[in-house]
Amino acid sequence: MSERFDTFSPPKAEPDPWETATENETGDDGGELDPREAAALLQQTTRQAERQFDIRPPILMLAAAATVLVAYGAVWLSVRNQHPYSGPSGTALAVLYGTLAVWIVLVATVLRRALSGRSSPQRRLEGVAFAAIWICVYVFQGALHHAGASDAIAYGIYPAAAPLIIVGSAAAAYEVARENRAQAGFALAAVVLASIASFAGPAGVWGVIGVGLCVLVLVGAAAQLRQRHA
Amino acid sequence: MTAAELDPLIHVPARLRIIATLAALPDGESLSFTRLQEMIGLTPGNLITHLRKLGDAGYVDTEKTGNGQASRTTVALTHNGRTALERYTAALRDLIGEL
Repeated sequence: MSERFDTFSPPKAEPDPWETATENETGDDGGELDPREAAALLQQTTRQAERQFDIRPPILMLAAAATVLVAYGAVWLSVRNQHPYSGPSGTALAVLYGTLAVWIVLVATVLRRALSGRSSPQRRLEGVAFAAIWICVYVFQGALHHAGASDAIAYGIYPAAAPLIIVGSAAAAYEVARENRAQAGFALAAVVLASIASFAGPAGVWGVIGVGLCVLVLVGAAAQLRQRHA
Repeated sequence: MTAAELDPLIHVPARLRIIATLAALPDGESLSFTRLQEMIGLTPGNLITHLRKLGDAGYVDTEKTGNGQASRTTVALTHNGRTALERYTAALRDLIGEL
């Protein structure tokens, strides 16, 4: 769901052409259009526009794969030899949240360039709802710690797997409602991956999710490329 | 079915491209007038003329934000516009099948 961001670009310091242009009342309609020509024009324009509006270009997918690998990998490296488990180091957490922040900025930039328009209030509301779910996941982590849950649960299995399971489930339901099967399948696969990875223990879960999610994103990118060239 | 039965508002090269471009936007998104103009390759005056015709029919919705130098116009396909394009595409398919 990381691509759901406000796409309203900052206004440029140049006059809006809508305000300054003179309406051409003669309106060039372009003459007669043969049905076959119309079908070809429709198909060509749709393809071109879809390519321009593509908010998941392959380069972004590759960046996503690298992001999860670096973010989860950094944490895994910091916890893999801990006995007993005490949780990720401050540096590992800085890498985790730093790479995620860079990723969010990258996605927002790509969205702005691709669409250069404005998100509807509904889309912004959806973004707020997903952000609220995400925050609640971490509030619940605080509750686990407060209730005396072990470090292995509160700083291992839960923070590694729960965000994917909870936010992924919400994303899957959202995509199903929008009849977006590919995205729903991807979200469900992430949920299944995180659930299974939880059996790898508080240290292993970070590594399994990092590698698994990286592979999942690469498979998604390959499927997308194949579909585009079909 | 004959070509004359195709929606005359859409069955024009420039407007067909405008509608098809806006229909490719993700749900709930709109496009800036400037970006649409770049993509379609029409002069601002011509584009406004076509958008006004489509707007009068309820096929597109234009929204202006800001004032003066910071003003900005965005364009989006309405539900009616999307339905009209689906109807047009189905009619076109039938017509080509008959040819």
